[in-house]
Formats: sequence, C-alpha cells, structure tokens
Amino acid sequence: MGRATNSSSSSIDSSSHPTVSSASSFPRLKRDLSTDLSLGLSISTSDHHYCPSTPREQQSDWPPIKTLLRKALAGEGNKCNDATFFVKVYMEGIPIGRKLDLFALDGYHALIRTLDHMFSTTILWAEVDGVLHSEKCHVLTYEDKEGDWMMVGDVPWELFLTTVKRLKITRVDKY
Amino acid sequence: MGYSFPEEVLEHVLSFIDSDSDRNSVSLVCKSWHDIERWCRRRLFVGNCYAVSPAIAIRRFPELRSVSLKGKPHFADFNLVPHEWGGYAYPWIAAFAEAYPWLEELRLKRMVVSDEALELIAKKFKNFRVLVMYSCEGFSTDGLATIAANCRNLKELDLSESEVDDVSENWLCQFPDSYTSLESLNITSLSSEIRFSGLERLVGRCPNLKTLKLSHSVPLDLLPNLLQKAPQLVELGSGLHTKEVHPDLYSKLAGAFSGCKGLKRLCGLWDVVPSYLPTLYPICFGLTSLNLSDAPIQCPELIKLVSQCQNLQRLWVLDYIEDTGLNALAESCKDLRELRVFPSDPFGQEPNVSLTEQGLVSVSAGCPKLHSVLYFCRRMSNVALSTIARNRPNLTRFRLCIIERFCPDYITLEPLDVGFGAIVEHCKDLKRLSLSGLLTDRVFEYIGSHGKKLEMLSLAFAGDSDLGLHHVLSGCKSLRKLEIRDCPFGDKALLENAAKLETMRSLWMSACQVSYRACKLLGQKMPRLNVEVIAEQGHPDLSPDEYPVEKLYIYRTVSGPRSDMPSFVWTMDKNPALRSS
Repeated sequence: MGRATNSSSSSIDSSSHPTVSSASSFPRLKRDLSTDLSLGLSISTSDHHYCPSTPREQQSDWPPIKTLLRKALAGEGNKCNDATFFVKVYMEGIPIGRKLDLFALDGYHALIRTLDHMFSTTILWAEVDGVLHSEKCHVLTYEDKEGDWMMVGDVPWELFLTTVKRLKITRVDKY
Repeated sequence: MGYSFPEEVLEHVLSFIDSDSDRNSVSLVCKSWHDIERWCRRRLFVGNCYAVSPAIAIRRFPELRSVSLKGKPHFADFNLVPHEWGGYAYPWIAAFAEAYPWLEELRLKRMVVSDEALELIAKKFKNFRVLVMYSCEGFSTDGLATIAANCRNLKELDLSESEVDDVSENWLCQFPDSYTSLESLNITSLSSEIRFSGLERLVGRCPNLKTLKLSHSVPLDLLPNLLQKAPQLVELGSGLHTKEVHPDLYSKLAGAFSGCKGLKRLCGLWDVVPSYLPTLYPICFGLTSLNLSDAPIQCPELIKLVSQCQNLQRLWVLDYIEDTGLNALAESCKDLRELRVFPSDPFGQEPNVSLTEQGLVSVSAGCPKLHSVLYFCRRMSNVALSTIARNRPNLTRFRLCIIERFCPDYITLEPLDVGFGAIVEHCKDLKRLSLSGLLTDRVFEYIGSHGKKLEMLSLAFAGDSDLGLHHVLSGCKSLRKLEIRDCPFGDKALLENAAKLETMRSLWMSACQVSYRACKLLGQKMPRLNVEVIAEQGHPDLSPDEYPVEKLYIYRTVSGPRSDMPSFVWTMDKNPALRSS
C-alpha cells in the first residue's frame, strides 16, 4: 500500500470552525501550526473558552497529567497551608458536587461568573435585583460554620471566606 | 465409554486456575464444563461496566466473591470526559446485594459511587473484606463512616486518587474498639483533618496492618508514634513536613524508621523538609518501591536518597531528578523495573530543570530489567529513541510525553516517526504505547506492521490522514483500547475497519474529524457496539451531518445502549427504522 497523497484535511480546530468540511483539502500547515501554538491558539475543544484568572486554575487538558498531581504542584508554589481553599458546589438535581477554589477568586463577581460558566446558568445573588427573570435562573446559597444556609453576598468577601463551608445552587421557584 | 468425570474432581482442578482467560477457555470445552466452571468462578473482572449488565453477570456466575469494575474511559483522568458522563456503581452494588450476600471484595476504578451505595455495601455483605475505589467520586466521609461501623471483617480500604467529600473528621472513629482486622488503609486523597487519636488507636490494635497511606494533613510529630505502633508495616505513605525543626523529633523519627525493618514501599513526602530526609536512609536498602511524585525534593538530595536504594524496582519521581540524577539511578539501581518521571512545571513555556532525553537513555542502558516507562520531557530525538529501543527490547510499556505539541526531533527537526518505529520494532512484547511529538502517518505504518502485541495505544496531535488510523486498526492484532485526541482521522478508516471495533474493548476519539453521518452509519452497521456521541455544545442533529462530532466513544457490549446517559450523550440508533417520528 503506497503512501497516499494528502487528500484529507489536517485542520486541527475543525470543531471550533464548523464551516470546515472534512471532504475538502487543505495545504499541510504543520510548521505554521507550531507558530500558532506558540501564539497561544486554543486547540482543544474541551476548553469551553474558559479563561482562568491565575495559571493555577487552568482547565488545560494538555499535557496529560492527572488532576490530583496538578493540584499538588499548584499548591507547592506557596509554602503556607492556606494556598488553596476548595469548597464543594452542589447544583439542585445533580448529586455530584463540583470543587471550586475560592482563594483563586478575588470577590463575589468572580465567584458568580465562574459558577455561571461552570453550571451554564444565570445566578441570582444579593446584589442582583430580586426580579425573577425567567425559570432558567438559579439562586446561590452557602452553608456557614454554624450549619445555617445563607444567601451569598450578604457579608464582605473576606468574612465570607472565613465562614463558608459549601455552596448550593437552587432553582428560583424552589427558593 | 459411559463413564463420567465426577464434577467434584473437575471443580477441584479448576480451583487452581485463577486466570480469567484460562477460565474462559475452560468454559468453551463443552456444555458441562461451561456449567461447572460458572458455578465455581469466584472472581470477575469487568473492564467496561457498560459492556455487560449486572443481570447478565449474575445469571452466568451465581457464586462470585470478588468483582472488579471499571467505569469512565481513561481520558477522564485528563478532564476530557465531561462531568456526569456516567459510570455509576449503584446499580451494580444493588444487584449484587440481592445476588451475592457473601461478596467479599469490590474493586472500582473511575466510577461514581454514592453514599447510598456504600451503605448497601456496609449493610448487605456480611463478610465484606476489601473495598478499593481508585479514582472514584460521588461519596463522602459519611459513607466511609457507615463502612467503618459495619464491616467487621474489613481488611482493606483503599481510596487512591478518589475525590471524597470531607464532611466529618470522625469517620475513622466509627471502627469499633473490637475491630482489629485492618491490613491495608489508603486515605491519601482525604484533604481535611482526621481525628489523630482515632488513627493512633486504630493502628495500635491492628497487628496485621501492612499498608498505611495517610493524607498530607497528618503532621510529622505524629509519625513516630504511628510507626512505633506498627513496626510490621510493609508500605507507608506519609508527609515529612513540619512547621518547626525539632532535634527531638528528628531522632524519634530516625529511630521509628529504623524499627520498621520490613518497609518496602514508600510514597507521599509532600512538602518534605530536606533536613529530615536522612531519617529515611536506614530503610533505603530495603525499599523496592519509591513514589516521590508528590515530593518537591531537588536533585542533590534526590541523588543521595536514590543511590542508597540498591534494591529499588519502581521509582516515580518529578523531573527535579534531572539527567544527573537519572545517571546516578542507572548506576545504583540495577534491579529497576519501572520508571515514571513527571513534570514539575507542566504549563511553563521554558524548561525549569535540566532533564532531557539523555536521562532516559542512561537508565535504558544501565537498568537491564527496565520494562515500564512513563516519561515527561521537553525534547527528544530519533537517535535517542532508537538507542533506547536497542538497549531495552524487553520494554512492555512505553509512554512518552513531550510537553510541547508537534515537537520535532530537536537535532534534525524531522518527525519522530523513525524513533517510535524503532521502539515497536525492537520491543516485540510491547503492550502499551503512548506517542507524542511531531508524527506523520509513517509512524502508524510502523506501528501497524510491528505492534502485534500492542494492547493499548494513546495518540494526541499526531498523523496526517485517515491512513494513519487505518494502519493501526488493520495491523495491531492485539489492540484492545485505543484513545485518540486531536488527530486528523475521519470517517473512511473507521468505517472500513468497523469489524475490528468488536474485537476491542473501546475506542475514544475527541477533536478528530469523524462526522455525525459516519457515527450514525456505524451505529446501524454494528449492533453490538454502542456508538456514543458526546456533544456538549448542542444536539448533533442541529448541525449538518458532515460536521465532525466533538467526542466519540465506541465500545462493544452485550447489553445494548445504556439508559443512564446525561443530556449531552447520544447512542447512535441501531435500527433507525424503528424510531417513531
């Protein structure tokens, strides 16, 4: 079997450019792609266009190292034990919680943005007008050290960090 | 002529046959052997929990004592499988609770295990002994508390790399005072504090405790007490970190380690304080396995440590070891069988340590028994790979990850096809291979012609065309698992080699060029495969059929499409004519 001439596309980011048809042919772009990579062109479709605020929070899936090792290396840069503060976030209807590092966020706005993205919804919290936009919105509450569930955003961020144990996202009509 | 071989004799003979494949062969001899074998099989391994249903397994093997189950595909380790994809243990455990009241062992890998499932285990299996949950999630310390409180005969509890919801620090105290059968405990992934007094008492009253792997929250000053209570330990995982340096603590620790004369395996050492490393020197000679992949120890201390471990068979280490450290390893550790070198700064643009392909070449030259390699580095050459291949034809596992994608041979700037070709050509028993760097279809030609024993192949950012995939699927006779990401492989190779997929456990393809149309066609053509399309950005019906799917997971199954898929996974219809419009 001889080596076939290159008739199929070697376009890597076909998934983010749906107009590329797999039947058309493109010139080989290997070296150019390397340049693109060094310019930071996102290749993986699983990035979800998420731009972390710090390198530690990178949702990168390359190189292929396990999450736990990644977390261990991330924490290593800061010798103090309080380098990260992971809390579980539960969305109503989903039994498995997600973990979120609150120390990587600089305030409530970052928290809401992150959660909006993580759970693909719009989150209402203390600063937002209490008008119910639609059934698709959710409310964010947290469990504090006393075991009570409070609305997120009621206290200053630094105080919140000392008292929050976990977060919960519930549907607006239930709340 | 008219005499029959007594069943009891056959059963007795079969009791010496452990290997699954041998037992499978036995069951194919004739109907009566099939029947006898199934009644006396005690261990079951299910490599893909969706390949068979609990009901089918129970119907065939009515008397199991030990089951292993695997759930999510391997690429889940690297965040490529979306959250809530599946792999739920509960249905299996619930079915087993009814069918196997005498079940003793459960080993779960990459599965979602709820507290309810753990409660079932605790309450329904009277003689439960071994629970291993490797890289699992979905449960909390409440579930563990139930296990501790109820499993009187528990020997092994292993939570390696599992994500545990830490809601209570007390769960270890749920082991009653009368409980003394613990032999192996691995709680490294628990992040919160545990009740240390509970741990000390537990360790003190379990004389058969051989494996103790703690989390990094256990402070250093506790370790000497623990070691003194368990000098019979064979495997230890612990940190060696402390806020202050105490001379007392140092000598206590040194004494305690010296007392552990049978210690063979060591891991952990998070945040290790280098000045405490010499406390380990007395045990180095006896060590066969050392896992320093969590330990930020620098090269000079690493060399001092490793040079004393002349009996080392397995080393996992960060790239702080550098080429000089690997040279020292090659000199001192002639019994080395497995080496894994992990990156200390995987996301950095520039190298932060002096670790190159030379380190691996040294070890391949100096360690004649080396057969398993996982190596992260930043440059490679064809000549180095060829040298490694010639030095070590006994390699069975070779996983190379060059951190920069599409990285060519740094000397010639050519693709690394020839180098990897040498690996598959010389290492005739190679079972597992992971490729990286700049690779064309040629490397797959080599793999297809030489990789006859290859069982698992991992590809990323490699190849030019469908021909690459075709070489692999048509040439690798023993292939069971193929996982591919970001390669320009499309419909043609997949459809032409559809029958091959039924001989494999699974195929994963993400960010490739397989069209939705091809997936539908494959689903129709191959009713014994589940062709699952993962599309988080919306139903694939909403885009034209020729658009590529985001992710594709194909596996053989005898139980049809699964019923627990999340909203972003679709199984391709096996018979679209039956679908109502």
